[in-house]
Amino acid sequence: MDLLNSYNLQVLTFIVLNLILAISIYVTLSTGQLSLGHAGFMAMGAYGTAILTEQAGLPLFLAVIIAALGTGAISLLIGLPTLRLNGLYLAIATLGFGEVVRVIFLNLEITNGALGITGLHSIGSRVYDILKGFGIKSSTLGMNVLEVKALATLVVLLLLFLAVLFFILRLNRSRVGRAFSAIKADETAAMAMGINITYYKMLAFVIGSVLAGMCGGLFAHITTAITPDDFNYHRVVEILSFAVIGGSEVVIGPLFGATLLTALPEVLRVLSEYKMMFYGGLMVLVMAFRPHGLITAETFARFKRKKKQATGTLDDTNAREGM
Amino acid sequence: MLLQLTHISKSFGGITALTDVNFGVEQGQIVGLIGPNGAGKTTIFNMITAIFPPTSGEITFDGQTLVGLAPYKITDRGIARTFQNIRLFGHMSALENVKVGLHVRTGKGFWAALLRTPSQKREEQLVGQKARELLAFVGLTDIADVRADTLAYGQQRRLEIARALATEPHLLLLDEPAAGMIESETVDLMALIRKIRDNGTTVLLVEHDMHLVMNLCDKVVCINFGKQIAEGTPEEVQNHPDVIEAYLGSEEEDEAC
Repeated sequence: MDLLNSYNLQVLTFIVLNLILAISIYVTLSTGQLSLGHAGFMAMGAYGTAILTEQAGLPLFLAVIIAALGTGAISLLIGLPTLRLNGLYLAIATLGFGEVVRVIFLNLEITNGALGITGLHSIGSRVYDILKGFGIKSSTLGMNVLEVKALATLVVLLLLFLAVLFFILRLNRSRVGRAFSAIKADETAAMAMGINITYYKMLAFVIGSVLAGMCGGLFAHITTAITPDDFNYHRVVEILSFAVIGGSEVVIGPLFGATLLTALPEVLRVLSEYKMMFYGGLMVLVMAFRPHGLITAETFARFKRKKKQATGTLDDTNAREGM
Repeated sequence: MLLQLTHISKSFGGITALTDVNFGVEQGQIVGLIGPNGAGKTTIFNMITAIFPPTSGEITFDGQTLVGLAPYKITDRGIARTFQNIRLFGHMSALENVKVGLHVRTGKGFWAALLRTPSQKREEQLVGQKARELLAFVGLTDIADVRADTLAYGQQRRLEIARALATEPHLLLLDEPAAGMIESETVDLMALIRKIRDNGTTVLLVEHDMHLVMNLCDKVVCINFGKQIAEGTPEEVQNHPDVIEAYLGSEEEDEAC
């Protein structure tokens, strides 16, 4: 099982974690809101979970849920004044909020300042303990303990990601999803359709924040150590670039972006010092030739048309569209 | 009166867009709002639908005031509109555009969508069915799954009407529904508007196509430079000296040229 070594497993785990973050930014963007507060919400989730497990001794998964919901509650308070803002103004306000959160954690006693919180339980160890309870040991699986723990973490993350994706897709294909999409396309027209814009913008903002908070909690218990610097401006740019590179029209876009941008630095290790050049070049190329991201709604439409053409069931409408 | 505007004035900063506009729309009527470009017709629509409030005056619908309500509440009360510069949700299919219109008459929210409860499924089914009926009503059954922004101009106008009808309005506001249409499309449109009225929806429309206005409307209101200059039957308004002057210019102006 060479492929399943702990290094590869860890890379995959971070890809899956970023997939959930990608969904979190996608939901916020799906109402056309450019929020840069995701690192701040992630930090709140991370510190919240860490404090709940370390100081209050709560079980890990319960702590993640509580911290994520708490993050959502705070995002509600942040959203009330800021969601009146549009476009860049909202971006600046939420970016400022993220920095405020980081500086607060940097100066609080309970968060241990710049040193951060270390020695957290890892998700892998927790799951391994449970497995041991069932009498399953690393030797039964033919792997070493580290590999089993890494694999367990990956499986947990993957299940969570699939659950989140499942629910988001359901939401997309509902009355709520249509309202999101209508607001993104044209706020005035959406209002004229009787859609309560403020409510749905807030809903999307809170869902995005809860997911970011959850990712923060998971992140803390994957790396087992967090510092305020883990949630700085670079993290915001990273999360946003999933949607910018991948595209934010369909959920597959940011998912693709997250996978690409997380895997690429690992794959490009061979390029060593030229790695960042390649990375930067890719960004420029995408912005120049695919300003809406690599995967757009049109990508799907074209794919469907090609399939139709291939099966020879092309009707008039599609022919006109194809011109 | 279904809709009544009383002493409506509107100014933007120092510029007065409308002064003392008074007219009513009776249940079951088709009322036309005419006037040269920039007269303030769309401004009236925007005030009725609460995109911005009037500076002074009162707008009542079914005897209740509309001033101060949020725009989405206006739709809830039973007023729907189309836009002069077509505002469809371009990336959605025609069918989905109409489904968005059904938003206000349905109620399943976030949790119902996540859990896909039986009642949510029933509602979605109903939404799909109603949306298809409305597309059929405006004659767009064939293009249900086509992206709205790839539709022909006339089709987009009809789709916008279908989307507005989906909110089940008592009053439908049409902002230049015939703009950019060819003769045959306009004839179809007139039949459609009559059909809408016969189904019990009152219509208030802004239009430059005088043939349409004069043939379709029970009552016409003419606005010029923010002032109401005439109100009455199409014949009365057509022969009103101020209306003729507004559209053709006065003799003095001609001499000045």
